[in-house]
Amino acid sequence: MNQIKSILIKLGQIDRRYIFLLIGLSVLIPLLKPSWVNIPIKATDNSKIVFNELNNLKEGDRVLLSFEYGASTKPEIHPMSIAILQHLFSKGIKVYTIPLWPEGLMMANYALDEVIESQLFDVKEHIDYVSFPYKAGGSIVIRGIATDIRSIYTQDINNTLLESIPMMEGVHNITDFDFVVDLSAGVPGNAEWVQYACDEYNVPLTSGCTSIMVTDAIPYVESGQIRGILAGMPGAAEYEQMVFEYLNNTPNRKFINDDVSIIPGSATSRMSAQSIAHLLMVVFIVFGNISYYLVRRRNS
Amino acid sequence: MKRQIAYFLVIFVGFLALAGHFINYAPLNDFIDNDATQWFDIIAGFAAFLGVINLLQLHMNKIVNKRSHWRYSLFTLLGFFLMIVFGFIYNGSPVEMGPHLKEEGSAFYWMFENIYLPLGASMFALLAFFVASASYRAFKIRNFEATLLLISGIFLMIGRVPIGQLIPWWMSLEVYICLIFSLIAYRFTNKKNLFYSLVVSMVLIPFIIMYFNLTELNLFKIPDFQEWIMNVPATAGSRAIMIGIALGTIAQSYRIITGREKSILGD
Repeated sequence: MNQIKSILIKLGQIDRRYIFLLIGLSVLIPLLKPSWVNIPIKATDNSKIVFNELNNLKEGDRVLLSFEYGASTKPEIHPMSIAILQHLFSKGIKVYTIPLWPEGLMMANYALDEVIESQLFDVKEHIDYVSFPYKAGGSIVIRGIATDIRSIYTQDINNTLLESIPMMEGVHNITDFDFVVDLSAGVPGNAEWVQYACDEYNVPLTSGCTSIMVTDAIPYVESGQIRGILAGMPGAAEYEQMVFEYLNNTPNRKFINDDVSIIPGSATSRMSAQSIAHLLMVVFIVFGNISYYLVRRRNS
Repeated sequence: MKRQIAYFLVIFVGFLALAGHFINYAPLNDFIDNDATQWFDIIAGFAAFLGVINLLQLHMNKIVNKRSHWRYSLFTLLGFFLMIVFGFIYNGSPVEMGPHLKEEGSAFYWMFENIYLPLGASMFALLAFFVASASYRAFKIRNFEATLLLISGIFLMIGRVPIGQLIPWWMSLEVYICLIFSLIAYRFTNKKNLFYSLVVSMVLIPFIIMYFNLTELNLFKIPDFQEWIMNVPATAGSRAIMIGIALGTIAQSYRIITGREKSILGD
């Protein structure tokens, strides 16, 4: 019995380098061999709301996609961007990308490039999508977009004047958009879109954000000011799954190139790694507590 | 005098912006919605420029005076100047300056994709290791509050990932029983009684739950319980914090636009 106790105490006090090693392996193995750990993904209500809201949009509707994340949060949010772009392009919806973070410009660019290069959709710049450049100011830029987008932006990312872009015709302020999708990892983010634009002008808003931001955003979701939320990588994986099923089964194939095979996104395969890592952390916590209890008892 | 002009400007623009939200007068509304936002854009541009000067001053001082960790400042300045060169002077691609920032093949793009992106992702990835190590050491059942934090933390960690759906109802129930016993353990003077009570509860309660056909309760489904934690207690806490922040913002804004708050000018 004493031997078991001392083993349990030692397990609760192992060197952090072993913890790092185990965490590294628990992430690395499912990433390298996803087929070894295949866990089914079930969509949460909030992810379903996001999907249904965007699915209810019609051909030609305008969606403003706001990019507020960077290199550090790319693994968590970027898969959402790609899945949302796929969903929107598959329905013939016009996409307007706006970076509110300096890095957001590159993220928008990466996401658009990936979707275009997949050749799943025949989308053309200035007809199906337009990319705006980065402007400093955060929430003030959001306010500017809400009241007069042309006072903030005079040209797109390629220095093309907005007047000469066909899909900018009739776009003057936030009310000219049918939906706003915010992809954020901080400030400005979904809260600023609610406060400075969408709530005041009654434009529907949804958001995809990092897991850590969900607690701050959830009051807006509960009040309906944000319609559903994609929470971190699990949210991205759930949305990817729904879009994957939609692209495969939708009878409306007007905008989908059937010659190209549809593959699920990267978040789905990463969920196994996250699952194992979380489980391992719980195991660590349990051992840590057993050891803590035994040490306290021994000392007392 | 210089200070008074600054205060006057702050107070005047503050009241003007506030009035724009309460008075329905078209020129005033137009000023607030359009002109003021453009003013902000211009000021933000200058602020970025000031930030650059500040960064240069700070790190150059550190290098010249060879203060602690001054070598890191060398790398900061090297990165800073390299990106300035690739952003404004040397393009490296046939595309004109400006759009070259997003053009594959340009030096700026190369730096972003091959240096900044992997470094940023690595920094964030390190969090997983630190979180694991920290939770192992710090998540301890020390008192009632710590136990609540531990329970919610574990349920969120498991419930947020797909593996949570695979955990059967009886396992969640056993976890609950263990946690309840950890909370009431101090009431047992005889540890043997505690142990026997725990074992009996862990064996009997699942049968009772099955007998009353309560196995489908959301309480026993970790993802559902996790969603309840997020939607009810977490929302309540977040709302309280948000209301507190809003009240604080109003109070602070009032102090600024009435000239009571002097720290904004560095006093």
